[in-house]
This record gives sequence, C-alpha cells and structure tokens, in this order.
Amino acid sequence: MHFVRLLAIGALCLWTAARVVAFPEFQRYSQRHSGVSIDCAMCHINPGGPVGSEFGQIGSLDAQDQARLNQARAALNPGQIVDNPILNAFGDRIVQSLGMLTVLQLRSDPAGLAPALGNVSDLDKDGIPDATEYLDGTNPLDPESGKPALLLGNRLAGHWLSLTFAFIALGLLLYGLLKLRRGLVKENE
Amino acid sequence: MRSPTVWERIARFFRERFPVEKLSYDELVRKKTVPIHRRSWGYYTGGLVLLFLLIQVVTGIFLLFYYEPTTTDASSSVEYLTHYVPNGEFLRNIHAWSASFMIGFLLLHFLTTLSMKAFEKPRELTWLAGVLLLFLTFAFGFTGYLLPWSQISVNATKVVLQSLVQASAFLPGGLASLPLDVRLALQGGESVGQPTLSRFFAIHVVLLPVLLAVILGFHLLSVQLLGMSQGVDTPAKRHERFFPSYILKDFSVWTVAFFILFFLALGIPFAAFLPYPLAEPFYALGPTPLGIKPEWYFYFVYYPLELLPFPVILAGMTIVVIGLFLIPWIFRKSSRRAMTALAVAGALYLLIITIFGHDIYRLVRGGN
Repeated sequence: MHFVRLLAIGALCLWTAARVVAFPEFQRYSQRHSGVSIDCAMCHINPGGPVGSEFGQIGSLDAQDQARLNQARAALNPGQIVDNPILNAFGDRIVQSLGMLTVLQLRSDPAGLAPALGNVSDLDKDGIPDATEYLDGTNPLDPESGKPALLLGNRLAGHWLSLTFAFIALGLLLYGLLKLRRGLVKENE
Repeated sequence: MRSPTVWERIARFFRERFPVEKLSYDELVRKKTVPIHRRSWGYYTGGLVLLFLLIQVVTGIFLLFYYEPTTTDASSSVEYLTHYVPNGEFLRNIHAWSASFMIGFLLLHFLTTLSMKAFEKPRELTWLAGVLLLFLTFAFGFTGYLLPWSQISVNATKVVLQSLVQASAFLPGGLASLPLDVRLALQGGESVGQPTLSRFFAIHVVLLPVLLAVILGFHLLSVQLLGMSQGVDTPAKRHERFFPSYILKDFSVWTVAFFILFFLALGIPFAAFLPYPLAEPFYALGPTPLGIKPEWYFYFVYYPLELLPFPVILAGMTIVVIGLFLIPWIFRKSSRRAMTALAVAGALYLLIITIFGHDIYRLVRGGN
C-alpha cells in the first residue's frame, strides 16, 4: 500500500512538472458563475498565472523555491502545511484544506470546489467566506473586494457602535440647528 | 444726448452683472432673502456641491501625506494607505464617494439652474463661471482617476488620450495638430508613463485647485451679490432671510448629506464596484484586461463613442460645449416651461445612459 502511495506521489510530481499550467477550469467556472472577468490572481501570486519568468512564476524560481514547489505538489492529502512559491494564500489554503488529489479530481467538477471548501475560511476577514468569493468572482485576499451588498451588511455589523453614535450626533445636531434657526428668526422678527 | 461709448457699454455690462457696490454687511447678510416656492429645493444643490468639494479638499490633503506619484510606488502607496494606515481605507473611500457625489450633485445643480432659468440677465457671467466649474470638475475626475496607477486607471487614460489622435483626423487644416499637441502635453512622451503620472498629479493637486479657487470665488461672490434667481415664472410671494433662516437650513441639509456619505464610506469600499483584476497595479507587459471603462460620470460620452461613428460624437460634443456657454443668449426668450422640458430631457438621457448604457451597448453590439 505504501509502495502504491509513493508511486502515486512520484507520478503526480512528474505529471505536474510536465504540465506547469494553472488550473483554468476553476477560473472559467468562477467567471461563468459570477459573470465577472477574473484573472489568475485569485489563486496565484502572479496575475498572469504560473507560466513565465516573472515574479511568482515557474521560470523565476531558484533551487530553494523549486524544492518548496515540489513539496507543495506532494501535499496529496488534506491538512498538510502548504507554502507554494507560485500560489497565493488562497491557493495554498485550497490545497491545504482539500489536498492535491481532491483538487485534481475537482478539475472535472469545478462547481464542487466551493462546497468542498465550506464556509469556514475567510482569509481577508471581510466577512465573506473564501468559497463565496470564489463563486462571486471577487478576491478572497482583498477585504475591499466582494459583492457590495455583502460587504455593506458585514461592515455595518462591525461598525454598529460608530454608526449608532453618528446617528445620535446627527439627530442632536439637526435638533440644535432647528432650535437655533427658530430662535434667531424669532429674534429678528 | 450722446450715445455711450463702447468702453462705457462694457463697463455698464460688468457693473450690472457684478455689482460690487452691494459688497456690504447690510446687503449680503441683513437684507438678502431667498424666494420660497415649489422649486426652492433647487437652491440647496449648489451648497451640496460646495460641501462635497470641501470634503474633497480635506481628504485629498490627507491622501497627499501618503501618496507617491511614481509609477513604481503609486499603487503600493495606495495599498499601504488602504491596508496599513489607521482609517486610511475610510479616508480613501470618503474621497472616492464624495467625488462621485460632487459630480452627481453638480449635474443636478446644472439641470435645476437650467430649468429655473437662473442664467437670465444679469446672471450670464455666473452661468459662464458655472459651466467652467463643470468642466474643471470633470478634469478633476479624469486626472484623479490615473493616480492609483491601477490596470483600469492607466488603460482608461490611454483610451481617452488615444481618442485625441482620432479627433485630429477629422479636424481641418492647422486645427488637426491641436489634439496631438494636447495629447503630447498631457502624456509627456510617446506613451503613458512616469511623465504622464507626474503631469496628471501636478494638474490634479495644483493647477486645477488654483483655477477652481479663482472661478469658484467669482461664482460664489456673484451669487451673493446678485442674490438667488427668481426660479419660477410668477414671482414668489414669500421670502425668507438668507441669514439665519436659509443658511441654517442649508447646514441641516449638509449634516444629513455628510451622514449618508459617512455611512457609505464606512459600509462599501468604492473599489468593490470593480472586478478585482482592474484594481490590480498596472502591469505594462501583460494584456489589457477586459472591462476597461471610465468612471460612471463619463458614461454619457463613453457609450455614445462606443456605439456611434467618431465624427458624429465629435461634432455633437463641439455643439453641446459651445451651446452650454451660449445658453443665456440662446434661451433668452424661452419660458421656464421650455427650459424645464429641456432639463428633464437632459436628466433622462444622463440617467438612462449611465444606468443602462452597458445593456444598450450589449443590445446593439452583442457580447459582453
């Protein structure tokens, strides 16, 4: 059993090394579901994806980064710490939560990624789960990116005290201005 | 009796339209009144534009503390301000939201003054100053859009500057080189880069504010000297004192407007209305991302440009711009009813093209 497992890891490493492209199935699904044009920056460090020699792309990796990449690719099962030099925190979180085997299986069913991730993770702490941001085509790592209505609800809940005080101040100011106006008008008459 | 000389007539024209003898405490504070009628709400629109302008100035100064006007650091300085400076995100949001509110209320102010025929003699110069302020505000929007140096800001600026090249092809003789010279002066080189950012930054934070201060000063002073326009055909029977009654009502409106702005800036980041790839730092070597568009307040000219032949838009815009300056003379004898119909038509056009412009585009051209 152990031998089969090692064989599977080796085959996967060889296979992914030969195919250094991103997994565009997830990007295409997110775009189709949300109706928003997105790029590879949802999961990758470089918005252009992993192929190339720019920062965060395969061609720019040194030996140490290559080792990190191989280690990340070998994270077949969920729960392993992933620090992939071409993935951003959301990409790492997906692999860490699901494992590479499940991620590869989900390529043929990208709609299954959101339910598989669940609503636990919210990397940018904007109140919108990462899985929802994947479905909405917004950036799970940017607290300013999200559906405006969802952000409004979450932020207002977070700032309810400031808003309550501002609302009370508004009422008091309007009352004061009204009384002042009436008083001054009366005096001028 | 001799007829007045040309100079005397010019002097009388300006004396009537800018009566400096009214520059006294009595005239401006004690005696000044505001008509009360069914359209009195229109008088508050100008004040609201002023409020949002003041918010722009104050928040803009704070943004300047952190902003770096270089192509390498602009977007990272904006990111630093947004994510690491205490209340930086709120500050940036309030600047962006109030810019949109300012332009929205400026358009409303323009339409209400048009429908109230507030450009009537002796307020022609006030109107001209107002039209100049409208264009200056659009220039603020255009130059400010580039400053974050994001994908959308740089690419949208490129599109606008490129349209100047298109314009030159349709202009006759010596005029043909004018748009190219303007483009070169704004761009500062062959393509949009550091010289462009430096120029837009200087224009946005120095040149336009100075021009605005001068023209706005004239506009506000002439409004104070000439008083509020009549606004309706039958002179209003009731009036209220400008001070304290109207000014305190104005402050109450400002208070409510500020609360709404505070609520929105706290609740919805302005960047949330953009697909996230468009808000990423500009990447010169990458492909142009999909969905490059100007800010919503330029849709009224952007969508017609996308749908109609360029010469049609060029001719139409030239006529509209010249027409805006000549309105006090073109519509001198028109009734307020006719002006209201014109203002309503203008408002409907702006609303429809701004809200449904993308759908109209898809309907005509297909695709996304």
